[in-house]
Amino acid sequence: MNKIIESAIVLLIVAAITLVGNRIGYGFGIIEALPGMAVLAGICILGVLAHRYVYKLPTVLYVITIGMIITMPGFPGNDTVAAWVSKVNFLALTTPILAYAGVGIGKDLPALKKTGWRIVVVSLFVMTGTYVASAGIAHVVLKFLGEI
Amino acid sequence: MLNAIKNVKIHLLVLALVAASELVGILKFDIGPGKLVLIPMLYAVIIGACLGPKFLKVVNDRDMDHASALVGLTLMLLMARYGTLVGPKFFEILKAGPALILQEFGNIGTLLIGIPIAMFLGLKREAVGAAHSIAREPNVALIGDIYGLDSAEGRGVMGVYICGTVFGTIFFGLTASLLSILNWFHPYALAMASGVGSASMMTATIGSLSAIYPDMADKIQAFGVASNTLSGLDGVYMSMLIALPLSNKLYKILYRIKYGVTQEA
Repeated sequence: MNKIIESAIVLLIVAAITLVGNRIGYGFGIIEALPGMAVLAGICILGVLAHRYVYKLPTVLYVITIGMIITMPGFPGNDTVAAWVSKVNFLALTTPILAYAGVGIGKDLPALKKTGWRIVVVSLFVMTGTYVASAGIAHVVLKFLGEI
Repeated sequence: MLNAIKNVKIHLLVLALVAASELVGILKFDIGPGKLVLIPMLYAVIIGACLGPKFLKVVNDRDMDHASALVGLTLMLLMARYGTLVGPKFFEILKAGPALILQEFGNIGTLLIGIPIAMFLGLKREAVGAAHSIAREPNVALIGDIYGLDSAEGRGVMGVYICGTVFGTIFFGLTASLLSILNWFHPYALAMASGVGSASMMTATIGSLSAIYPDMADKIQAFGVASNTLSGLDGVYMSMLIALPLSNKLYKILYRIKYGVTQEA
């Protein structure tokens, strides 16, 4: 139970920081974005609880799925929830994550220095590989379906 | 984790980093057919990294441990937002057809090329994190959940994530224009494939393709957006059920070939 309370506290801290960034960078007032942020934090806590008490699937799977279900057409109040969360800019959510990661990165710097240029090379191949493979499959399937 | 929560200093530092980065905002530079886009999270990670004992000495080893212990959880708010991006379009995506779904298996191309190259370059467990997927937010969150982001796998996925963020848009814009010159694939296929990465990568690709094929622009854009939304929906399932287990298997086989011994635990 302690772990869950701890998670909730971290989420609240990050939510508060995000609201400030969301105000500065994207012009959504803190009060205006509050309901959406509350929904997002609620989804996360549900995800943590499900991971703990339902089945040990990765928390992220629960969180994405719950977020999707409650905004699906036909789910009660889906439009209201979607309108609330739209006041929390997507990019505003990424900045605090990378800020925490950045502060923590210092201790990995020796390891990063060792792998750094290799990772850059790998990432170029990863991006090309994914793009070309996906385009190839899409091309074949579209042809098969007679769309092109 | 309790000690990390009580470390008020790091939360205040993060707040300052966020405020400063958001004040600067998004910067865009046109380069050839692509766009170099710098977004606030990049400033935050770079300034954050400079706070360590090597440079500005604002944070000590303990602070750094605390900060990285929290990253995995901070990602969850973003993942919740991700779910809510997909939900409203769920049924449109279902209608978008089998081509959209099947092209998602292009992810497997990533690991078949990426893992051997990463290991050839001398990476070990970093290879699995770096090359199991195209390393967008859901993939980072998944690796964080399973291995922790301060593990070798975590370093790998974060490295590719950051590279993708910095160079991704321009790289994808360029690749799409190059492929259209080669004329191997139909423009619609190129448009669908643009969805594999982040929204900004997709936007850059669609932008270049629409400029090259103005009379097909409408359909190109629709395919790009649908595919990108679909990646958001199934990317995490695809990673967990197919790409990550396959990556680990491939890693084990290549490890035995390269080092002549079974991988150490």
